[in-house]
Formats: sequence, structure tokens, C-alpha cells
Amino acid sequence: MKNYTDLPADGGSDIAGQVTKQISRLQRRMGSIRHTIAVMSGKGGVGKSSITVSLAAVLALRGCAVGVVDADINGPSIAKMMGVRGAQIDYGTDGVKPVQNPLGVKIISMDLFLEGDETPVLWDAYTQKDAFTWRGAMEMTALREFLSDTEWGTLDYLLIDLPPGADRLPNLVDLLPNLGGTVVVTIPSSVSQLVVKKSLTMAKHLLNTPVIGIVENMAAYVCAECGKTKALFPTGHTEEMARQFDVPLLGKIPFHPQVSICADEGTVFVEEFGDTPAGRAFTEIGESIQTFFEME
Amino acid sequence: MKFLCLECNTAMKFKESKAPEGGSLTAIFECAECFGEIAIYMNPWETQLLKSLDVQLGGRSEEAQPMQMVRSYLSHNKASDPPTDDTAQPTATPSSVEPGKCPFTSVVAEAFEAPKPEPTELLWSEEALERLSRIPSFVQPMAKSGIEEFAREKGLAEITGEVMDAARGNFGM
Repeated sequence: MKNYTDLPADGGSDIAGQVTKQISRLQRRMGSIRHTIAVMSGKGGVGKSSITVSLAAVLALRGCAVGVVDADINGPSIAKMMGVRGAQIDYGTDGVKPVQNPLGVKIISMDLFLEGDETPVLWDAYTQKDAFTWRGAMEMTALREFLSDTEWGTLDYLLIDLPPGADRLPNLVDLLPNLGGTVVVTIPSSVSQLVVKKSLTMAKHLLNTPVIGIVENMAAYVCAECGKTKALFPTGHTEEMARQFDVPLLGKIPFHPQVSICADEGTVFVEEFGDTPAGRAFTEIGESIQTFFEME
Repeated sequence: MKFLCLECNTAMKFKESKAPEGGSLTAIFECAECFGEIAIYMNPWETQLLKSLDVQLGGRSEEAQPMQMVRSYLSHNKASDPPTDDTAQPTATPSSVEPGKCPFTSVVAEAFEAPKPEPTELLWSEEALERLSRIPSFVQPMAKSGIEEFAREKGLAEITGEVMDAARGNFGM
């Protein structure tokens, strides 16, 4: 009796061939993008999206062509933070045209496909019961389509804002095996760093993905009355974690309420408040990222 | 997946698919030597997984449209439809495909879109309708069809508050 490998094909579907075509299309699209960067953490609520948005702005203000993929399929926030919510998606012959913010940053996000503020991401199915069996595959295909079916044109940097979870990076690396690097975001708390360390292990030791460095968000706050910088969190050892994993600490971003206000309004923090401690920190981190790739 | 005709020790070829009934897709394979046929039935979750990969049983004759999976299967998708292409090839059917070529191209996509049999009308009590109206509007269609599906499975003719509670428990909510 013949076994699996004895049979020449799958009976006419060529599923493997169809998947290969999808990947080829993705590779062709990525061919015009110089550097792909995943902004990740593993931990939720540390400010990945805020940092993605501000780094994209810093790079764009420095003259780079920049794109942003909101890879948080179920909790998309990038479109609002970049002031493009409600923009109409246009379909071209070779893909969809990304929405652009006033700085020319190209953006794709699930938010641009959803009907309204309260609309969650639901997939048509005969039954939503036990949807865990297929929802992950839907989300991966959606992310692949965002990457491969968006008319990015030529970009210097494509930033990919990953949702929380240490499993997100390996999923992305399956799609982009030549990922340029990762920026790992934490806050100075032991709880955050406990989770972030797992992501660092995943990125550096299991996937061998270049780690550009760690960003410590909400590192401190500047007292409005005395002007002194004070700690927001009593614990956390970001320098120690950076040393442990032998990766650079790209910078520490002090808390600034305008970061949140700009995100709510969809305006560019680093443009309006570039001369604040947080604004300067974002700029320095953006410069470090450019240096990382120039030294490659 | 590959299929072997044990009688002939020969790989079986895809022949046709049938529209999902109850969410279950049927695919028929045929032995090229003895013409014996088998049918495989995919349960709703396997059928949905196939959709999620954006692949077509029987092969794909046309390039996928940009964001095809998102546009096809995202509920409450506000994105506009892509421009229609008048030059696009008509959908292949088993009878119209040249011999030697797989007849399954596009049939699965067609099958996914095939209308479901008309369900029997169910009565909703006032209390049930009032409770349904309290659910956020964008979830209402899904909740309504889920509850009705549950009631039909149980052979019930009317949706009451008790039925809604039982359905809710069944959904694990």
C-alpha cells in the first residue's frame, strides 16, 4: 500500500502551492521595504502602541518613509492614535491603499475595516461556538493580508505594533523570517519585566531575531511644581534586564500626560511637545534605531 | 490531505464539493482507475479553518483579491467592494472544466456562498424580544440566529426567557 509521500499531490487542490503563492506575494511586497521592526512586549498596557506611534513620527520627521501595521487585530488603536479613524479604504489594482497621516506615515489597521466604535472583530461563521479552533488562523491570515496586500510602495521603515503575548512574535516571524529587529517595551515594574523577559528569551534565544533594544516607558514623572524628576514605580530593574540579555537599553520615557491626550486627539506628540523630556527621549530612541540599521 | 483507493492502490482525485449543510462542507474524491468515489465531510470548525486559510479546495483559478479573506468574512465590514472586473473568468463548474483539469476551482467559494435552506419560523415571546433588544445592536443578529439555532436543535417552536437562559448556558456565557 502506498504511503503519504508516495502520492504525488493532494488530488488537485494544491493547497501547498496556494500557500506558497501567498508567501511569494508577501515577499514581493516586503522587497521594497528596507527595514521591518516589531514593537513588542509580551505584557499588555505598557504603551507599545504609544511608542510605535511616536517612533513612526520621529522617523518621519527625520525624513524617512515610514509605514505602520496595527497587528492588534482584535484591539486596534493605531488609527485613532494617528488621527486617521474613519478614513475610507481604497482598493487599487495591486492592493489597498494605506491611509496616511499628516506626516505621510502609511497606516493599515483593522479599525479601518470596522463599521463603528462599538463594533468588535467578528468573523462570519456557521457557529461562533468553539471559535478558538479557527479564530487564530483568521487573525494570522488577516495580518498576512495587511502586510502583503497593502500598497506600501518604497519604505525605509515598517513598524509592526504587536498585541500582548509572547506568542505574537513567533507568529510574525513565520510570516517575516527576515524581520529586521524588535523593540521591546517594558515599564519599571517587576510584574512587567517578569513577562517581558519571556518575550526577550523568545526573540533573542529561540527565534534569533535581532533585538534593537529595550524601551522603558513611564520611567518617571516630572513634578509640575518643583520640576524634579521622580519615580513612578518603586520597583523594576530594566538596566539589569538589559545586561542579562545583552541588549541595549534604548531609552527611558518619562510619563507625560500629553502623550495620552495626543493619542486621544490623534495628534503628533513629538511634533507638538518635542522639547519635553518625553519628546527628547522619543527622538533619541528613534536616532538609536536608525543607528542600529546603519551599522548593520 | 491525500486519499488512496485501497482497491487500486491509486491516488484519488478531487471531483466536486457540495454546499455546506449545517456548516459542514462535503468534498467528493474519485479513483482514476476504478471510478470509485468517497465523500469526506468536514465539520463546521474544519470548514471554517479552511476558509480562514484563504485556500480553495480543487485549486484556485484566479488570483485572490487584495484583502480577500478580511473582506469576505469580516462581519460588519465597512470597506467598499473592489471594482468588478468584467473580464474575470466565469466561475468554473465541474461540467464546464476541461478534462484533466481539476473541476473544483471556485466551487468551494460558491459553495460557501450558497444559500442555506429556509429555516422554520420561530415565535419570540415579548419577554424574549425585550431581552434581545437589550443586547448591543451589532451583536443582535448573531445572538438571534444562535438562539434560534439552539431552539431548533431542541425542537422548540417558541423562544422564551427560559430558552434564552438555556442557550446562554449552552454558549458557555
